[in-house]
Amino acid sequence: MAIKNAFIDKMESEVTDLDILKTTLLYDFYGELLTDKQKEIYELFYQNDMSLSEIAGELEISRQAVRDQLKRTEKILSDYEDKLRLVEKFMANKASANRIRELIDELEEKNELSAESMNIAEQIRMAVDEITE
Amino acid sequence: MVRIRLKRLGAKKAPFYRIVVADQRTSRNGKSIAEIGYYDPTKEPSVLKVDEEMAKEWLAKGAQPSDTVKALLKKAGVIE
Repeated sequence: MAIKNAFIDKMESEVTDLDILKTTLLYDFYGELLTDKQKEIYELFYQNDMSLSEIAGELEISRQAVRDQLKRTEKILSDYEDKLRLVEKFMANKASANRIRELIDELEEKNELSAESMNIAEQIRMAVDEITE
Repeated sequence: MVRIRLKRLGAKKAPFYRIVVADQRTSRNGKSIAEIGYYDPTKEPSVLKVDEEMAKEWLAKGAQPSDTVKALLKKAGVIE
């Protein structure tokens, strides 16, 4: 699950959906453990999609300093994930939840469910939604 | 310079991105000039919608896509 090559070192053609999702989720889960400066640079790069040079200009620091800070931040987030695995568990839970939703849909499609059973199916859906919120 | 970039929206743990055209100087908090598509990496497979005509129009006007947007535009078949 750990990001093998830091996102920042990847060529544009190598960046996958999973990379984008993971970098965002890592920040959503562990972002509060970063310093304000680390948060600022990470947000500008990943959430505002600004280039290193643009961030350097905006913050009046060198491009290299932005790059170093980003790499350090990626490493910090990745280390938290190695220890806590919250993103991995979240993604696994989400996949299981989707599977449950599909199975309930299938159950409803293939059977003439009574009103009572449909009510139970709906309650299962709501419980699944709560798990993945 | 005008840039085309992703702008994150969506709740925590549910990221969703708009592909926006914005002036470089107002990129941080400023308003976007136009919205040319969206990208949802949380779906399996991910959902990518691009208004091809608008994208090509902005590219022709010299708008510079970010690396990530460039990759997405390639994926959507807007650029080679």
